[in-house]
Amino acid sequence: MNISRSVNARFGWRLKFNSGVVPLIIGISILGGWLLVAIFAPLLAPYDPIFQDAAVRLKPPSMAHPFGTDNFGRDVLSRVIWGARIDLQIATFGVVFAFVIGTTVGSIAGYYGGWVDMVLMRLIDVVLAFPFLVLMLTIIVILGPGLGSFYVAMALVGWVSYARLIRAQFLVLKNSDFAIAAVSLGYSHKRVMFRHLLPNAILGSIVFSMSDAVLVLLNGAAISYLGLGVQPPTAEWGTMIAEGQGFITIGWWITTFPGLAIVLLAMGFSMLADGLGEILGVRQ
Amino acid sequence: MIQKKWIRFAIAVTMVFIAFGTAAAEAAGVLTIGRREDSSTFDPIATAQNIDFWVFANVYDVLVRVDKTGSKMEPGLAESWDISDDGLVYTFHMRDAKFSDGSTITAADAMFSLTRIRDDAGSLWSESYQVIDKMTAPDTRTLVVTLKEASAPFLSSLAMPGISIISQKGMESMGVEAYAENPVASGAFTVDEWMRGDRVILKKNPNFWEADRVQLDGVEWIAIPDDNTRVLKIQAGELDAAIFVPFSRIEELRNDPNLTVHLDTSTREDHLLINHESGALAKKEVRQALDMAIDKQAIVDAVTFGIGEVAYSFIPKGALYHNYDNLKRPHDPAKAKQMLADAGASDLTLNYLVNAGDEVDEQIAVLLQQQLAEAGITVNLRKMDSSTTWDMLVDGEFDLSVMYWTNDILDPDQKTTFVVGHDANMNYMTRYNNDRVKQLVSDARVEMDTAKREQMYIDIQKTAKEDAHWIDLYYSPYRNVSRNNIEGFYQNPLGRFFLEDTVKN
Repeated sequence: MNISRSVNARFGWRLKFNSGVVPLIIGISILGGWLLVAIFAPLLAPYDPIFQDAAVRLKPPSMAHPFGTDNFGRDVLSRVIWGARIDLQIATFGVVFAFVIGTTVGSIAGYYGGWVDMVLMRLIDVVLAFPFLVLMLTIIVILGPGLGSFYVAMALVGWVSYARLIRAQFLVLKNSDFAIAAVSLGYSHKRVMFRHLLPNAILGSIVFSMSDAVLVLLNGAAISYLGLGVQPPTAEWGTMIAEGQGFITIGWWITTFPGLAIVLLAMGFSMLADGLGEILGVRQ
Repeated sequence: MIQKKWIRFAIAVTMVFIAFGTAAAEAAGVLTIGRREDSSTFDPIATAQNIDFWVFANVYDVLVRVDKTGSKMEPGLAESWDISDDGLVYTFHMRDAKFSDGSTITAADAMFSLTRIRDDAGSLWSESYQVIDKMTAPDTRTLVVTLKEASAPFLSSLAMPGISIISQKGMESMGVEAYAENPVASGAFTVDEWMRGDRVILKKNPNFWEADRVQLDGVEWIAIPDDNTRVLKIQAGELDAAIFVPFSRIEELRNDPNLTVHLDTSTREDHLLINHESGALAKKEVRQALDMAIDKQAIVDAVTFGIGEVAYSFIPKGALYHNYDNLKRPHDPAKAKQMLADAGASDLTLNYLVNAGDEVDEQIAVLLQQQLAEAGITVNLRKMDSSTTWDMLVDGEFDLSVMYWTNDILDPDQKTTFVVGHDANMNYMTRYNNDRVKQLVSDARVEMDTAKREQMYIDIQKTAKEDAHWIDLYYSPYRNVSRNNIEGFYQNPLGRFFLEDTVKN
């Protein structure tokens, strides 16, 4: 009995490890790949991404232009490569601010409880009462188009998910023995919150932030598609798709390649989230 | 704007289902036309949009019409007219015609319509008709209009769709709002049903005075916002005609054996507005340098796929008093750079307002940005939704922005007044200021001698070009397509469709 149980347990652990490690590796490779592309964009891109060459407008993929050219005669491959910089930046900054704000608010709400918790939770309810996209678009329209506004909007709208995740963890953890011990040792609230509780509570949020990055990336592309994000002529995948849409029947390559790039990057984040979740034993 | 987009998307999706459902059941003589947007009203005075005007032209008749070529006036509801020698009194003799409800169209109805556009608080055109002093209707078939001063453009301004003849009795009994939904028609078709946001369904008006001329049983104006969808639907035979065909698709549609592409001459001009009150742009030399830095032919090639034509005067080619010899500044970025340096504006940075979502606008912006960079000018593009850009233009919060204009009347006075006449619109928001031009515009309005008047308009065009009041970019035709079984689908330069002559075989 004992033996078989231990074998099972061992087998189960290995299975868990395996099922997490494969997506993790794929995810890291994809993201790493894009990171390298972004860093070495000036070296990798065969052309200037915003240079217009009237002589080669709307040319299909060829040796000179592997991804073809757009309606201004710009090289689509170079634009996809340079676009990686902007889109990785979107995915990062779109998540970071929401993560920091949400974690802080969630920690305070969960730790102190009582009326502090109630006020903060009502605030979250208010934000959640609005449809996500509508609220985001409203903020961007008020602040004016551009990536800066997009980051502000993502921070103002996105923090609620993190706050709820962290708060839920805190509610459980603050009654655990080590937390009570820390409090009775006379540590400051700040220290208990951020040194003792937070490291134990944050794993779920980290995993969530990876899948959130996918959402942010798609939102960024949508915003640029609507003309409220990245301003022309900067190369960004969502913008490229929007600009190429009118030419889809005579130049499929203008929209297809940036579209594939978005799918690939999103897949990277999503694989990483899966892998991390499995390995850290966090249920999403 | 955003919400509108989603709504449009939803509409587009529903459209697909509706179209598939009804395509087979359609009556033989009903012409279906796909366009970008749906109508906004049927109250003639409450709109200035082509999308409404183009439907009005076949629902309402006017006293005096513009002919097919868009070059002269012809009788409409007024059979004939006399003008007094001093040019102040116009006497219109109305023809025996009926509204769609069977009642007679009287001089009183015409007087009511003219009074409304001049005096009604909801009229967008009241300023243009202030020249009317008083009106009388001595009998049911005679209308006498007395002007405050002689006005050369007055007669042609009566052909504008905004001044369509509406039924006084109908509007007074129905109320303005109900009338704007389902009007009593004076033209070839009546509004059978208006599914807002989706389509306008018109039915032949048997009481129309020219009913014999009308071959179609009805017309459906269907809103299909997405250009590609609209084109796909006409290719598939789900539409009889489509308007606003994107430049990029013309070539392909020309090669389709089932379709006929119509590039009908229009009065459309796309131009680059310059804010004369913004820094160095106040200097004439700087504005001229901008003109030289811009390669209009490149815009014609890349944006219009060679279908447009380089513009050189704000009075479009083919329109009355257009100056063929107007200055065409050559594309010379080096010289432009030199001129900027001489004017002390070598490191010029300009804010360029772009209408977000307007494909052509965005393309022009990206092209101009690169062209102006060659002359050392830094251009920052600011994409805004169109309601915001308009407010910013009004408030002067811009340096450059592309806009367009299509004439609503034959006479050049309307556009000239708006563009360089120094009226309340600040010369199409450019803040252009030239007292000589201002004087010429008001003099030309009252000059009754045609030769003298033409000379005045040529002067105005030359001076405005010299001052680089704005930058003329390109003229472009109306871009429509119809199935081969449709005959006589035609739009005149002022935008009027002659659906009374259209035949569906």
